[in-house]
Amino acid sequence: MMKNYETDETFLGRWIAGELSEEERITFEKTEAYKEFSIINKESQLLEGPDIDTETALKIVKERLNTKKPKVIKLWQSIAIASIIIISAGVFLNSSKTYTTEIGKTQTIILPDGSAVDLNANSSLSHKRFFWNNSREVSLNGEGYFTVTKGDDFKVNTSKGIVSVLGTRFNIKDRSIFNLKCYEGKVSFKSNDVTADDIILSKGMEISLTDIEVNKNTFIEENPNWKNGSSYFTGQPLRMVLEELMNYYPITFETSLINTDRLFTGSFIHTDLNTALKTTLVPMGITYKKDKTGKKIMLSK
Amino acid sequence: MSEKEPSICEEKNYNQLFRKYYEPVTKYIYYKCGNLEQAEDIVQNVFMKLWRLCATISFSKAKSYIYKASNNSFLNEITHQKVVLKHQKTIQENVDNESPDFLIEVDEFRVKLKESINALGVKEREVFLLSRIENKTYKEIAEITGLTVKAIERRMSIALKELRDSLGKEIKL
Repeated sequence: MMKNYETDETFLGRWIAGELSEEERITFEKTEAYKEFSIINKESQLLEGPDIDTETALKIVKERLNTKKPKVIKLWQSIAIASIIIISAGVFLNSSKTYTTEIGKTQTIILPDGSAVDLNANSSLSHKRFFWNNSREVSLNGEGYFTVTKGDDFKVNTSKGIVSVLGTRFNIKDRSIFNLKCYEGKVSFKSNDVTADDIILSKGMEISLTDIEVNKNTFIEENPNWKNGSSYFTGQPLRMVLEELMNYYPITFETSLINTDRLFTGSFIHTDLNTALKTTLVPMGITYKKDKTGKKIMLSK
Repeated sequence: MSEKEPSICEEKNYNQLFRKYYEPVTKYIYYKCGNLEQAEDIVQNVFMKLWRLCATISFSKAKSYIYKASNNSFLNEITHQKVVLKHQKTIQENVDNESPDFLIEVDEFRVKLKESINALGVKEREVFLLSRIENKTYKEIAEITGLTVKAIERRMSIALKELRDSLGKEIKL
């Protein structure tokens, strides 16, 4: 006799996996029970498990681990490590130290010569680990506010060019736009574009670089606004504002329904996402909604 | 000596494992114990152990380590065996064009379905949910649970029969 779901203890399991023989299947599909089983099956597949937030869990685990790394080293590993150390000693002396800030975090870095760099959110700064005082040179990615002690030439490498100074205060923003503001003393900017002349800025002057042009401007504030926990915009495209928001809050935007070239004048604070969204989006007549993860903001008219 | 396998001691490799397996393992343990907090706790502890033992576990063994260790620490904690499952898939409404020949009070049916799944034996429930909700093949389930495919087919059959026994009368054909 042919097996069916009552006589064969694996029958229904094989049915679910699509592994019944043709004959078994056809006979089974004719029964009344089949209809009930297939409704149960279909409806079960509509159910969902719990929502799980992997990224939060990862953070929790890392915090609990206290960033301590285990050190289990076997003999062959120590031999390998020893040789690597010898080989890389030279490389190491030439190695760099890098500071990185996360989204929404800032950090003050004191360099070996006493110069200070306030690193804004989502940025990084690196410099040579040794003999740095011989040539004061750092590389910046993102945005930083520099207070440089007097001394020999101090250079900041950016993606758009080199900023060099003697002793002064200035802010470099090297994101999708490049902006350099001088708050005290003098700085010079040597563009990567070799055909361009060096630009000298004194107190209260700023330059902004886009892919096509250099804009010179003046400003009056004494310190960068971001140091006070806010970002200010005057007639800048909305996409810059959104990009800036993403430096302070771990969010992304869905912008396909809006025009991000519209110009925005105003500010937002770095400490409260809801307020920041309200002050930037409401005046532009944009409505916004968080998706269920809370990380993605859908923008619409 | 060292193969070319990535080392779990490297943070990016560890993160990769975490992102790949944290959710499915947590769901697996959840389907066993019905307590999400407990499940997350168990799996997080396992991942902490994985980090501490990173030098001794090879990358390719990590998956099986994570599942086994989670399962073991669940067994050590056997205290809970409560209810599971809440969410219905939100948008996908029950438009079922193929078989308009039956009438069900869909919502009522769905509530009962969830209750009935909860009422399954733990062994059957675990296999049933991994298969129907997490869309895992029997082979994958076998790998996770250490059961044979045959045993899984058996548990699936029992689960379906029990569900039909308790739900059959709700379905009006």
